[in-house]
Amino acid sequence: MIRGLQYFLKEAVSSLWRGRRSSALSILTITIALFMLGVFLLLSANLERVVNEWSRSAEFSVYLRDEAAPAEREAVQKALAGDPAIGGVDVVSKDAALERFRRDFPELAPATVGAPDNPFPASFEARLTSSSVDVVALGKLAERIGAMPGVADVRYDRRWLDRLAAVSAFIRYAGLTLAGILVLAAGLTVANVVRLALYARRDEVEIMELVGAPMAFIRGPFVCEGVIQGGIGGALALAALWTVLAVAKSRLAEAAGGMVDVQALTFLPLVSIALVVGGGMLVGCLGGLVAARRLR
Amino acid sequence: MIAIDGLSKLYGRDISALDDITLRVGRGEFAFLTGASGAGKTTLLRILLRQELPTVGTVVVDGRDLSALSARDVQRYRRSVGFVFQDFKLIQRKTVFENVMFALRILGVPDVQQRRRTFQVLKWVGLQHRANAYPIELSGGEQQRVAIARALVNEPVLVIADEPTGNLDPDLSLDIMNLFREINAAGTTVLVATHDRELVRHVGRRAIMLDHGRVVESS
Repeated sequence: MIRGLQYFLKEAVSSLWRGRRSSALSILTITIALFMLGVFLLLSANLERVVNEWSRSAEFSVYLRDEAAPAEREAVQKALAGDPAIGGVDVVSKDAALERFRRDFPELAPATVGAPDNPFPASFEARLTSSSVDVVALGKLAERIGAMPGVADVRYDRRWLDRLAAVSAFIRYAGLTLAGILVLAAGLTVANVVRLALYARRDEVEIMELVGAPMAFIRGPFVCEGVIQGGIGGALALAALWTVLAVAKSRLAEAAGGMVDVQALTFLPLVSIALVVGGGMLVGCLGGLVAARRLR
Repeated sequence: MIAIDGLSKLYGRDISALDDITLRVGRGEFAFLTGASGAGKTTLLRILLRQELPTVGTVVVDGRDLSALSARDVQRYRRSVGFVFQDFKLIQRKTVFENVMFALRILGVPDVQQRRRTFQVLKWVGLQHRANAYPIELSGGEQQRVAIARALVNEPVLVIADEPTGNLDPDLSLDIMNLFREINAAGTTVLVATHDRELVRHVGRRAIMLDHGRVVESS
C-alpha cells in the first residue's frame, strides 16, 4: 500500500514536472478559485463579527407606562432576560431618563426644569447578544413584549438590523455561489490538464494495459497528480489571502474611518483553512478521476 | 496450452478476418504463426492478447476461456503471459532496468526480489551493461532484447511474439530467434507470428500458416 502510494507520488511529481507549463496553469486556476472562496470566507467571518458587534450596540428598548405595577415591570424584565437574543437588561428609571436627556441635550435642558411632571417614561434597555441577527425572532419578541400589561411601546433598530442581516446573507450566498462556480471551473481545468498528461503518455498507458497492470496502478498517478495540483493551489490561495489581509490591515485603517476596526480583522479559522486546502485536493482528485475514468 | 475451436472474427457484417479456425498449441511447444500480410495473424494475436473478442468460437489459454474473463481477470491473464511486440513497446522515459522491473512491480513482488530477478533476466539477454540506458539509446536489436526480458521476467508459462524480428536485420533476427529457442528449451510455450518464411525454415519448428483468415497448413 505504502509502496503503491510512493510509486503514484513519484510518477505524479515526474509527470507534473514534465508538463510543468500546463500544470502551472492548472494550479493557477485552482489558486484563483480557492482565493475567491477564501476571500468570501474571510469576508463572511469578519462581517459576521462586525454584525455581531453592531447588533450588540443596536437598541431594543421597552418603554413602560407610568402606572405600570411593580409586578408588571418584573414580568417584562423577566421576559426580556429569559429570551436568548437578549444579553442583558438595563433598567432606566424615569429620573435616570430625565437626567440622560439633560446630559445629552444640554441646550434643551432648561425646558424640562419648569415642567410639572417628568415626561420621560421608565424603560428597559436590552442588549442583543445574537451571534447572528435573527430579525424575525426579534420582531416576535417585540410583539410579545409590546402586548404585555404595563408596556407603552417597544422600539428597536429594525431597519438597520434588517439591512445588516440582508447584506450579511447576500455576501455569504453570492460569495459561495461564485466560489462554487470557480471551484467547478478549476476542477474542469484540472481534468483537462490531467487529460493532456494522459494523452502525452498514451503509449505508456497502452503498454501498462498490455502487460496487465491493474487499473488502479494506471490511474493512481493521474489522480495523485490532480491531488497535488489541488493541494498546491490551496496553499498558494491561502498565502495570497494572508498577504492581501496583511496589506489591507496596513493600508485600509484610515479609509475605514473608524466604522470598522481594520486591525481587528482576523485570518480564516483553522476549519476554513482545512476547507480551502482540503477542498483544493478534493477538486484536484475529482479532476484526476474524471480524466482517468476514460481508461478502462 | 492454447486451444482454439471454431474461431471466426468478423468486422462489421461481412469483413471476415478469421474464418472457422481450430488449432492446438501444446504445453512446451514452439510454434510459428505465418502468412502474408492480411492473413489474420495480427487479429489472432489480438484475440490471444484479449484486445479483441471472437465473433464465434472459443479460445482457451492455459485453462482460461478468454471470452469469459472479467476486466480484472484480463489483467491477471495478461500478467501470466509474456508478450513481445514488433515495435518493442518500451516506456521511453524509463531506463532499461525500470522497463523490465515494471512487470514485476505490478505483480507486487518485494523490491529486493524485483531487482535481483530483473538483473538476472537482463544478464540472460546480454544487456546487464545497458541497465541504466534509456530505450532511445539502444539499437533495435537491443530494444527487442529488453522487450523479451520484460516478457520473461515474471516467468510466464506462455510467450507470444508478434513479428519480433520485423524491424531487425537478418543477423539480429537470428539472435532474437535463438533467445526464443532458449526460452522454449526452459519449458515455456512459445508462439511467434512472422511473415518471414525464411526465418521459419531456418529455425525449423512447427509452422501454422494462415491465408485469408483460415488455417491452410499446420506442420
